[in-house]
Amino acid sequence: MDREFIARGVKRCSTGKFLLWILPWAALLAFGLYSAGLCLIKGLNQTNMDNRFAFGLWIFLDLTVIALGAGAFFTGFLLYILKIKDLRAVINSAVVIGLVCYSGAVCVLGVDVGQPLRAWFTFWYPNVHSMLTEVTFCITCYLTVLTIEYLPIVLKNRKLRQIPSFLVFEFELHKLIYVLAGVGTFLSFFHQGSLGGLYGVLRGRPFAFREGFAVWPSTFFLFIISAAAVGPSFVLLTTWLVEKISRKKLVKPEVFSLLGRISGLLLSVYVLAKTVDTLIWINRTSPESGFPAAQYYSWQPFGTWILFAEIVLFGLVPALMLLAPQLRARTGWLVTAAMMACCGVALNRFVMTVQTLALPTLSFDRFLSYFPSWQETGTFLAVVAFGVLVYSISFRYFQLFPSERELRRF
Amino acid sequence: MLPWNYGFHLDTGHIVFLGAFYTVLVIVATTVVNALLRSRRDMQTSKVEHIRWHSDFHDLPAQDRVCRHVLTGEFKSGECPNSFDCRECETHAKLLQVHPIAAGGEKEIFGMSFPLDRLYHRGHTWARREADGTVTVGLDDLGSRLLGTPDEVVLPAPGARVEVNGTAFRVRNRDADVRVLSPVDGEILETGDADRGWYLKVRPAACGELPFRHLLRGAEVRPWLLREMERLQLTLSAGGAPTLADGGVPLSDISAAYPKADWDAVCSEMFLQV
Repeated sequence: MDREFIARGVKRCSTGKFLLWILPWAALLAFGLYSAGLCLIKGLNQTNMDNRFAFGLWIFLDLTVIALGAGAFFTGFLLYILKIKDLRAVINSAVVIGLVCYSGAVCVLGVDVGQPLRAWFTFWYPNVHSMLTEVTFCITCYLTVLTIEYLPIVLKNRKLRQIPSFLVFEFELHKLIYVLAGVGTFLSFFHQGSLGGLYGVLRGRPFAFREGFAVWPSTFFLFIISAAAVGPSFVLLTTWLVEKISRKKLVKPEVFSLLGRISGLLLSVYVLAKTVDTLIWINRTSPESGFPAAQYYSWQPFGTWILFAEIVLFGLVPALMLLAPQLRARTGWLVTAAMMACCGVALNRFVMTVQTLALPTLSFDRFLSYFPSWQETGTFLAVVAFGVLVYSISFRYFQLFPSERELRRF
Repeated sequence: MLPWNYGFHLDTGHIVFLGAFYTVLVIVATTVVNALLRSRRDMQTSKVEHIRWHSDFHDLPAQDRVCRHVLTGEFKSGECPNSFDCRECETHAKLLQVHPIAAGGEKEIFGMSFPLDRLYHRGHTWARREADGTVTVGLDDLGSRLLGTPDEVVLPAPGARVEVNGTAFRVRNRDADVRVLSPVDGEILETGDADRGWYLKVRPAACGELPFRHLLRGAEVRPWLLREMERLQLTLSAGGAPTLADGGVPLSDISAAYPKADWDAVCSEMFLQV
């Protein structure tokens, strides 16, 4: 039925099968939209957040998907600015992943902030001294850039490119894509950093507070490096997953290995920086705030295991695995390492968001626990469903993997 | 946000932050507007076919974009940087001076007819220069066998212009819709059909040897065709269809022999389009 929209030389499942695949995700999205609607209409009383626990599942999700979506800017930077041509094989997929992650994050932020009719206030009356303002500006700008980057992928659709004006616009826009890649890198650099920075400047939360360079706390830089490190890992993981689900070869093994090596290199830099930062925090920053670092880890379940898991298990171990050529050459190891790296960044964002807020800081404070309500979970799942739907539709109708046609021959 | 806004202060924070924001917006907007203006210019100067070819060429598999001198064994590897338009290629010009292409060759290759009086385009068309200065364009023997008996041939009207690597005419057969690429620049004088052995008579846009320099000839044809047969085998085998047996001769209607093959994909590969 939709064969004319599917690229030549690539095989896709029947329309019926595709509809069956997207149906449960569409149902999940509908449930999520209902949950989000309740939060928007009735207010944040639908959630389990309160004035003390103001950041919950949604902010954790935002930080995680934005870090995972960093593959878009970083792959673009490596391909268009540093001219690593092999990454052309995954750039379209990386852009879709980025678009899905960022648009999902913006939607959830919209629900979290609430009052959508006043959303423009943040742009019209910006508090230029706020890290969150920087985040808002950068994310919306970068989402615009990603949408423009997504446009050539859409216009390259077999049917759409038969329209001369679309074909020509796609061609001309693609010629200028390096400008957008540069802008994307600039924006990503700052908003990834600002997301980290907003925790680092929390003086009232000595668990998160960090010293740094000029106006930027060390978390500013750690968030940038960690996002750049796991971005390629997530692209690798997604590509592998799509290969498994579609039962097709989409990129050459060398591309997987390259993504793994890039991720491994950056992850090792991150682990080193994070270790130095943690040591400084344990020995200087935290004691100067009046809290010995060991005290934070006396509140269960957040024992020292979480620090070990974050830095060693999901940091150092995958970094070493990704850097070892023998392990990188084996898909199982490569994918496991990429998965661990992604889990590591998710754990880091969880620690920064949830553990920071759960720990007591004043003598009359108590350890807080938080569990998301079904409305929060529903909204969270809507983002996942939205991502799967957009990616599935893009994979079916657009050429996300330019090598697919070539690899089909072998 | 703006100087007359409530809460705006003309301090370093505002100037740096909003300055960076506006710069980003200006760059993004300029890029999009620039692309739109370029697109309008391209549409006005009828560059659509040129762009379509460049876009298609860019998306062809790497092994299909190799230079003609790789086919003949002069180079070990190398992608054509000129999208198969050797007219402006300095390397090709230099190589021609050192080793002119041998005029001889075989009229029959792998059981197919490739007369020596014509020049061949890599998209399976040929061009024959006639005594009256016109050029006759047709499908080569492999191209004809691939398309078999077409369901429909859409030819341009006399007076229309064609350009090298742009669409010369369209052929529909089974589920395949093929844009057959033009080997020459020029104006259509007359149209033919498969029975007459040619499809177009063209008044070339320029005279001399240069307008035909991108076309294969003489001793180049056999190695090119060898590569094409390999490509055909690979393309057919990709769809799970039986492969061609060695030593045979392609059928007059290959598509009819592969009823289950995705013929649209096979033709798009062989006729250099995506």
